[in-house]
Amino acid sequence: MRRHHLLLVLGCAALLAAGPLALPPFYVRVGQMMLYSAALGVAWTILGGFAGYASFGHAAFIGVGAFAAGLIEVQFATLPPFLALLMGLLTGGAVCAILAAAIAYPILRLRGTFFAIAMLGVSHVCAELNNNVDALQGSLGLNFPPVAPDSVAPEAFFYELYLFAGLAVLLIAWRIRQSRFGAGLLSIREDEDTARMLGVPTERYKRAAFIISAILTGMLGVIYAHSLGYITTDSVYRDDTNLNLVVFSLLGGMGTLFGPVIGAGLLVFITQVILGRLLDFHLFATGLLLVILVLAAPGGALGFIRGWRRRRVQVPAE
Amino acid sequence: MSAAPILQIEHLSKQFRGLQAMSDVSFTIPAVSITSIIGPNGAGKSTLFNLITGYLPPTAGGIRFQGQLIGGLPTNRIAERGIARAFQIARPFRDLSVFENVRIGALFGKAGPRDVSATTDRALRLAAIAHLAARPASALTVGQLRHLEVARAIATRADLLLADEPCAGLNPTETAAMIEVLREVRASGVTVVLVEHDMPSVMEVSDRVLVLDAGRLIADGLPQDVAQDEKVIAAYLGSPEADDA
Repeated sequence: MRRHHLLLVLGCAALLAAGPLALPPFYVRVGQMMLYSAALGVAWTILGGFAGYASFGHAAFIGVGAFAAGLIEVQFATLPPFLALLMGLLTGGAVCAILAAAIAYPILRLRGTFFAIAMLGVSHVCAELNNNVDALQGSLGLNFPPVAPDSVAPEAFFYELYLFAGLAVLLIAWRIRQSRFGAGLLSIREDEDTARMLGVPTERYKRAAFIISAILTGMLGVIYAHSLGYITTDSVYRDDTNLNLVVFSLLGGMGTLFGPVIGAGLLVFITQVILGRLLDFHLFATGLLLVILVLAAPGGALGFIRGWRRRRVQVPAE
Repeated sequence: MSAAPILQIEHLSKQFRGLQAMSDVSFTIPAVSITSIIGPNGAGKSTLFNLITGYLPPTAGGIRFQGQLIGGLPTNRIAERGIARAFQIARPFRDLSVFENVRIGALFGKAGPRDVSATTDRALRLAAIAHLAARPASALTVGQLRHLEVARAIATRADLLLADEPCAGLNPTETAAMIEVLREVRASGVTVVLVEHDMPSVMEVSDRVLVLDAGRLIADGLPQDVAQDEKVIAAYLGSPEADDA
């Protein structure tokens, strides 16, 4: 992120922070969904975009994080709302870290489609366990204590919380991208065997990226659960989320830092605002639109813009 | 050449199920030299590189690098010790620029990141591709990609460069440029082990030549001596006895 990028991000953040003051509640909820999706997309891209391990099962971490937080918060019902949320975030993140560390060794031996499908399997296994083990209350559902102050509308509170969380995730991803660790992840994405030959500790780096991505996704799941107020297995282990996380990067630019942010913004705007009134027909229209967009800009929005800029620079030189 | 050996191969063998790819091979590589390993297809040259770099574990025998046993270590740990490889079929990081490709070598490799920018620049200059630094790796020609392989490998601050057929498929001008780069690499203090089929290049650049045939070492000596060796001629052209039979 160069200096003008940083200024742009801070400017956008300041503008976005003022959103709930100017927008009607419906658009605040749409904004909430955009920010949540963008943050999830960036958390996913640490593994899927930087390291090239595209996961089709990150909803596992949303669900595990949300239920772990809910189950622990119920035990400490007398805590002030802020502390309850903090405890939920820490618990959700920690349980996701343990889960990711436990499955990292076998699952990261798989590559490409095999890894993607295996992660989808992990998501489904976690959902089934959550649903069928009574102690986990997946089928019965879990209530989350309200955390928004009485003086603030819940949708505005969660909008600002998602904005803060999104910026934090973006900052973490940016720091990773700039670091030696980030360069190592890129080399793994490009050619894992060559990366190892250059001295990149590929196994350690993949595990670290997987665990960091899982923690961030789990923590976002905790905020999502709080914003819903009541969750069941179906509300957090969602296959459309598994799919959308890949689509955000495809639309915005795979492997880039801001690609998932742009992709999430585009997709949520298209599905919720433009096509939202088409009811069931909107799924067909969304699918068709995605196919057209991916065919027209295979490198995503950022790839399209970079290609256009390159062509514009080259034309006068010729 | 009397320099201390940087690499010692001791009774090295490799078996793939029923195939004996390498049988009891022993030799040493003196430091700061160019040693070529030649042999017909299937002689075991690439297997030898795979064993040295830890890509394959040996079935028997030992590999010592700078006096330390490295056989069986993971590939990245061997790279950290100071062994780098330039592949026969160039494997650039296609979505990254030439500079970024070489920088990754400088960030990792021997003893971790130190003077990354200076090391990257030096490797680019040594491999004669400094002028291509900003270009995407995907836009390079075959010859330029071979230079990139060498630049990325030496950016790891390796003491030993294993160059796998760096001249294959290059025209005479490109071959001459690559030979010059290998000489510059040696002059910078790096030992080069070269696997190459292009005999004029081998004869021109090598301090010493080893010949493998069917996984066995059949000759080891100065280039002009090896070129006259009957066993080597027979391995390449076939022996009269075998032809008569």
